[in-house]
This record gives sequence, C-alpha cells and structure tokens, in this order.
Amino acid sequence: MVKITGGRVYDPANGVDGVVKDIYIGEDGRVTAEGNGSASRTIDANGMLVFPGGVDVHTHVAGGALNFARGLVPENQRVAQKFIHTPELRAGIGGLTPTTFATGYLYAGMGWTTVNEAAVPILSAKHTHEEMHDIPIVDKSTLLLMANNELMLDLLEAGEFERAKSLVGWMLWASKTFGIKAVNPGGVAAWKWGKNANQLHQPIEGYSKVTAAQIVMDLARICDELGLPHPMHLHQNNLGVPGNVGSTIETMNMLQGRRAHLAHLQFHAYGGHDWNTMRSGAKEVAEAFMSHKNLTCDVGAILFGDAVTITADGPWQHFLHELTGRKWGNLDVENETGCGIVPYVYNNHKLVNAIQWAVGLELLLLIDDPWRVYLTTDHPNGGGFWRYPEILRLLMDVEFRKAEVKKLPPEALNRISLPEIDREYSISEMVIVTSAGPARALGLKQKGHLGAGADGDVTIYSATPDADGVMFTHPRYVIKGGKVVVEEGQIRALAEGRVFLVHPEFDPAIEDFIRPTFQKLYTLSFENYPTEMTRLKHPETVGCVPQ
Amino acid sequence: MGGKVTCTLGEVKNRADFIIYWGGNPAECHPRHFTKYTIMQKGKFVPLGRKGRTMITIDIRETPSARAADIALIIKPGKDFELGTTLRALMKGQPVDEARVAEIGLSLDTIKDLVERMKRAKFGVIFFGMGLSMTRGKHMNSAGILNIAAEMNAFTKFVCMPMRGHGNVTGADVVLRWTTGYPFGVNLSRGYPRFNPGEFSTVDLLVRGDNDATLVLGADPGATMPQPAIDHLKKTPTIVLDPKVTHTSKLARVHFTTAVTGVSAGGTAYRMDEIPITLRPGLKSPYRTDEEIVNLIIAAVARKPAWRPAPIAQRA
Repeated sequence: MVKITGGRVYDPANGVDGVVKDIYIGEDGRVTAEGNGSASRTIDANGMLVFPGGVDVHTHVAGGALNFARGLVPENQRVAQKFIHTPELRAGIGGLTPTTFATGYLYAGMGWTTVNEAAVPILSAKHTHEEMHDIPIVDKSTLLLMANNELMLDLLEAGEFERAKSLVGWMLWASKTFGIKAVNPGGVAAWKWGKNANQLHQPIEGYSKVTAAQIVMDLARICDELGLPHPMHLHQNNLGVPGNVGSTIETMNMLQGRRAHLAHLQFHAYGGHDWNTMRSGAKEVAEAFMSHKNLTCDVGAILFGDAVTITADGPWQHFLHELTGRKWGNLDVENETGCGIVPYVYNNHKLVNAIQWAVGLELLLLIDDPWRVYLTTDHPNGGGFWRYPEILRLLMDVEFRKAEVKKLPPEALNRISLPEIDREYSISEMVIVTSAGPARALGLKQKGHLGAGADGDVTIYSATPDADGVMFTHPRYVIKGGKVVVEEGQIRALAEGRVFLVHPEFDPAIEDFIRPTFQKLYTLSFENYPTEMTRLKHPETVGCVPQ
Repeated sequence: MGGKVTCTLGEVKNRADFIIYWGGNPAECHPRHFTKYTIMQKGKFVPLGRKGRTMITIDIRETPSARAADIALIIKPGKDFELGTTLRALMKGQPVDEARVAEIGLSLDTIKDLVERMKRAKFGVIFFGMGLSMTRGKHMNSAGILNIAAEMNAFTKFVCMPMRGHGNVTGADVVLRWTTGYPFGVNLSRGYPRFNPGEFSTVDLLVRGDNDATLVLGADPGATMPQPAIDHLKKTPTIVLDPKVTHTSKLARVHFTTAVTGVSAGGTAYRMDEIPITLRPGLKSPYRTDEEIVNLIIAAVARKPAWRPAPIAQRA
C-alpha cells in the first residue's frame, strides 16, 4: 500500500478543493478510502499539491501517420531532446514526433498518466497497436477513423442506417479501438479525387446523396446507439479556414440532442473572409458552445515555435503545403481515410499565428464550464504536448498573460478579445481541464479522480513555482497504478500501461455482408483485416451502454 | 521542398487510370504487382481493369515489363534526373532548351505528350525502382520523382511509391522509426539514436572498418556490397541468421540456421505501402525462429557484466 500524506488534495470530481488529507493506494493499484494495514511506502507531500494523473483527450502519439512524420523530419529529431539508454530505460528522442518509449517518459515525466490517440485507420490498426505496445507507463485509448470510410458512406448513400451501425460496431471490434473519430466528414473521401467538402449540405464528391452533415449526424447517432463510452469525436469540416465560425456553429446546432466531442476547436473558430481579414471568432463559438450542453471540446491551442501538422485531413494539408512551401507527406489509405503531414512554424510576428494563439486561450477562458473544455495542443499540430505547462501559466496568471499579449503584432490586438479577459484559472479548474474533465468525456470512470476505486494515478507537484515562475513542468512524484514511476525528476520504474477498447453489440451477420465487398475493394484477405487481441498489451474492455 | 505523396496499394487498384513504372522491372522483380494491385485488376472506379488504365514504363532498355506497357519510353542511362526536371518544367509551362532535352534520348514532343497525359489522368501514380534510386544521382533522382508527384497535385490527383523489395525491409524501416526516430543508418554508440546516411549506413561502416562485429539478419551483404565491405565482414566476427546458406553465411564466424518467416515462423511483414500483414506459418521447422535466437543472444549479453565504465566516484 502507498500512503500519500500531508498534501493539499485537489479532486474536483469528488468536490475536494485543496483539502489536506491522506490518499491511500492499495495493492491492487486502486485508491482505497481507508488505509488498512501498513504502508509499504509513505510519501510526505507536506506543502505539495496532490492531483489525479493528467488525461490527454486528443493527441497523436502512435500509428502510421505519426511514424510517417518521424521519417519526414529527421532535422527535427536531430535538435530534439535525447533519451540516453540505461539498464532500465530505452534510448529515444523527444521533440514533436517522439519515439514511442520517449513518449511514455515525457507524458509521465509531466504528470500525465492517460492518453487518447485520436486517429487510427482500421487497415493499419495492427501497426498502431504495435507502437502502443512500446509506449510505457501511460494508459492508452484509441479512436477509429470512420467519417470517410467508403463502405460506410456507400451504406449511408443506400439509406441503410442499421447496417452502417453494425458495420461501425464490427470495425471497432476488428480494430480493437475505443471510440469513433470523424475527420473532415466526406472531405477526405473527396480528396481521393483531389477535391474537398467545404459545404455541409452538398453531396460529397463521388456520391449523389450523402452530405457532410448527414455523416456527422449519422455517426453521432451510431455512437449513441452503440452506447460507446466516448461520444463521436469530431474534427469538423473547414479546419483552419478564415470564416469557418459559420460552419462550426451550424455543426453545433445540427448536433442538438446528440452527444459529441469537438476536437481542437481553436482551428474552427476563425472569423473574417480570408487571410487578410481573419479575426478571432472565439466569442461567437464559445457563446454557441455554452448553450449546447450536449457537447464537450478540446481546444487544440497553438504555441509559438515549431510544430508538425499531422492530420487525416488530406486536402487541408495540400493547401498548407502550397501556402508554406514546406515539405509535404500524404498517405491515402484505401477505402478508409487519408493523412497529410506538413512541418510548420508558428511565428509570433505573423498576424495569422498571433490570432490563432489568442483563439486557443480565449476559448479556454471564455467557455465558463471547465468540465466541457479541455487542454490540448492537438499534439504535435499546435505544439508538443510537453509544453502544456506553458499554457497553464497563461491561464492561471493574468499579469503574465497580459505581458505576453503585448508582444503580439499591434494589428492583431483589435482582432482578438484576449486583452479584455481578466479571468484566471483556479488550481481546481486547472485539474478539471487537464484530468477530471477529459476522463469524464472519455467515459473512463476510474480516471481523473481520487475517490475509492479510482486508478491509483496520482501526480504530486510542488506548491511553489520554480525560479522561472513556471509550475507543473516537473512533478515531485508521479504514481501510476500505485507504483511510484517518477521521483526527483527521474523515471524510477516502468508501470505497464493498459489499452482500453470497446466491444459493442452488433448484428454478427454484418461480417458476411462485409466479406465479399472487402475482397473486391481491398488488397489483402478478409482474415488478415482484424487486429488480433494478442497484439494488445494489457487490454481492458470498457462496457457499452446503448442509449 | 521534399516529402512524399503516396497511398496504399488498394487506392491504386481502385482508382489509378494512369500508371508509370520508372527504373524498375516488376514483371520479373515484383511478379504479383501487375496482377494483384495495378494494371490487371478491376477496381471500384476502374471497372474495365486493364482497358481502363494507361501504363507507361521509363527505363534504359526494353525490359519484360516494358512489353506490358501501352507506352515504353527508353531513355539514355543516367538521364533520369534530367527527364524528371524537364517534366516538372513543362508541367508548369516553363521553357526548356530543346537541344539539352535531346540528350535524354526522347523528343520534346514525346515528353510534352507524357505531361499532357499525366494532367488528363484522374488518378496517376509513379512507381520507381532501383534503376533510379541506385544509379548516378541516387537520392536526387528519388527526390525529383517525389517532387513530380507532389507538384502534379496542383493539376490532378497524383501519388508515387518506391518499389521496395528484399522481404521485410519496409518492416525494419518502420520499426526503426518508432523506436529510434529514424528509418536506417542509425548509430546508438552515444546511448541515443543518431542518423547520418553516408556515415552510419551499413555499407559505410563496413567499408571504413568502423565496427568490431556484425550481426546480419535476413540480408546477404556478402553478395551485394563492395569488396572492402566484404573483406571487413571476413576479418571481424560476423554472425548470420538465415534459413539458407548465403554468400555472407559462408564468410561468417557463426551461422544460425533459422525457420523461414512466413513459412515455418510467424510474425508481421510490412508491404511496400507500410500496411502490416500477419504471417501464419503453414509448416513446422526444426530450427528456431529469428526472434528466438535474437532473444537468446540478448539474454546471454545481459548476463555479462555491464560494459559501461563505472561512475568516476566509484573508480579506484
């Protein structure tokens, strides 16, 4: 048993706000209410802050696209943080596309213990799981790319909703994934013909009936009816386009009555008509968002500096390549999805980047319910996940934020609302947007809190900022499943992370329907399509509750 | 510039109406490529199969693959980069010097016709082989092709793909990337991965004689590498894991005979488009698998005292 004593505990899910109390973690790695028996390890957390481990609701840490990016940017790896191998730890490279082992060390080293990989094609799900196998310490879940899956689009075109639902259920189980991701619905399928889906209500390229709006609505309904723990995770159409506020708010209105999670909302909250007139649309988006209690979101904030943009949104990436002249990786995955990669630098002298920086913070500050908005950078699209503490400082210290705003180009200031916002995050709110909230959105009941039965994932920070005024970069202790994994800034032990997946109910006859179509459209045999359970290290199936 | 614009093979099967093979001879080197993935297949959007697709070969001689093509372009050896550059110029309507173009071995009209056909394609693909990547110009030739495919997307859908071979070489590349961040030519001697092709690539290490020992897995450098590299393999301890006798196994200090992956040993192989396929062995082998032997070697090495020097404080 591990006993954490004397720390100020922040457990917002259980209404605990900075109370000094002891936390006990039993031999089963879970939090227990009372310490019975003697503690094998007592951690003196006097004068420290005790939080549930961080939960990243949207990140890209494993899979074919990320691995493509690693190969594409050796110049980034060369200047990135190095991990030297020791008898216990594997060598690796940090940076924007960290190696798998380094990814586990970096997340745990920052105090995060659960991550959600947000883009898995079924065809290469085996590969994603192989990489996850090599990400130590943290628990992982994955989202399956469905909104451009042509088997499903063909069924929706034919009006066969029930069959489409079974197909999605089967695909989830076949790929051993946890939830559904929709990326630029219809747009990636159109990209297979070099086109995009900018209009929500026009039939998408190659189809006569199906629209982006229908894909969004049907997938949200499928996720609800299958009872997935995490609702549809939506990367909307028109990402990054000035003036996309309109389609963002329209999408929210469409989703009335359905659960949905809106990914990296910052990239979907721009006003204006083009790059010259672009302005923040965060106010409108935040206002609309707050009135839709059925929705959650993560911000996908950007930070000035290097980034690598990686997304299934192929057409956007082609545009970004033409815009920047930077190198471009593109990988279309047969019948399912695509992916594009473009390295990018967010420059604080550039008007557009300055607005993007402000929009991310504005959303986090203007949306008044921290339980529905979560901290992400859409790693590595807006910046590396290991820079989260920089954003926390901007949220928690208004003087510091105002000083940073002053460094923006003057012409940006009348296009953003950040200078007028005085809100500061409390410690409790910070715990909600980084842990309690995302855990709830993911439907992981044992995560994001420290009540009895919760996973023994605890992060303990110093209560005072370091010499540079920064907090939360280096926790004093990180405990994962009752094991002390980080201590004195060192990885001390490797906990074995679990992989969460779902096994929703679906009509088994769907397999006989898929098989002949599959043999016609794909290039491998049907038996080789599903991911074997044996590829997953410590799998844990989370139950579905159809609604 | 740079990058790679590609797709999985099923995209080619379902959509490609225009296929270029450049510097490769799939009819003999990838014999299932035509029938399984490219020209012979009936695809979702290419219902006529072979009749619905145009196939072009670009090579320095008339290969058996060229005989399957609609248009077989023969160019002069070592002129791939020049052809690539000319295509990029014409694609964008830039002027070219006709006399210089003639050195490629094709008429300007032929190249212009090729560009027009590329632009008319609904979905074009360029497969490029070692005739391009391993001849004069090497990676510059590959970069040229990758750029053609990328830039063609301003006009129509276009992708490209290297014709990789030699068993699971793509798999090795993929695993190295997620474990070290780099695809090949990785040096771990400082305790963290460093990458510098031309310095840390196998052939360079062997030719310079930098390494003390060599472990060869599923490859036959003794058959393909330059003589100084082979001499170094002979001179130093070389360990080979291979199901059969090879040029390298003959000069090695130790040869472990292994089960044949995919036949009598399981595992995962990556296709040239980086899609993983589960291998299910149909036969049993009296020999151990590569994985078992490597694990035994790792365990034996782990039993030895650590090679690291002791921290200074602990030194006598």
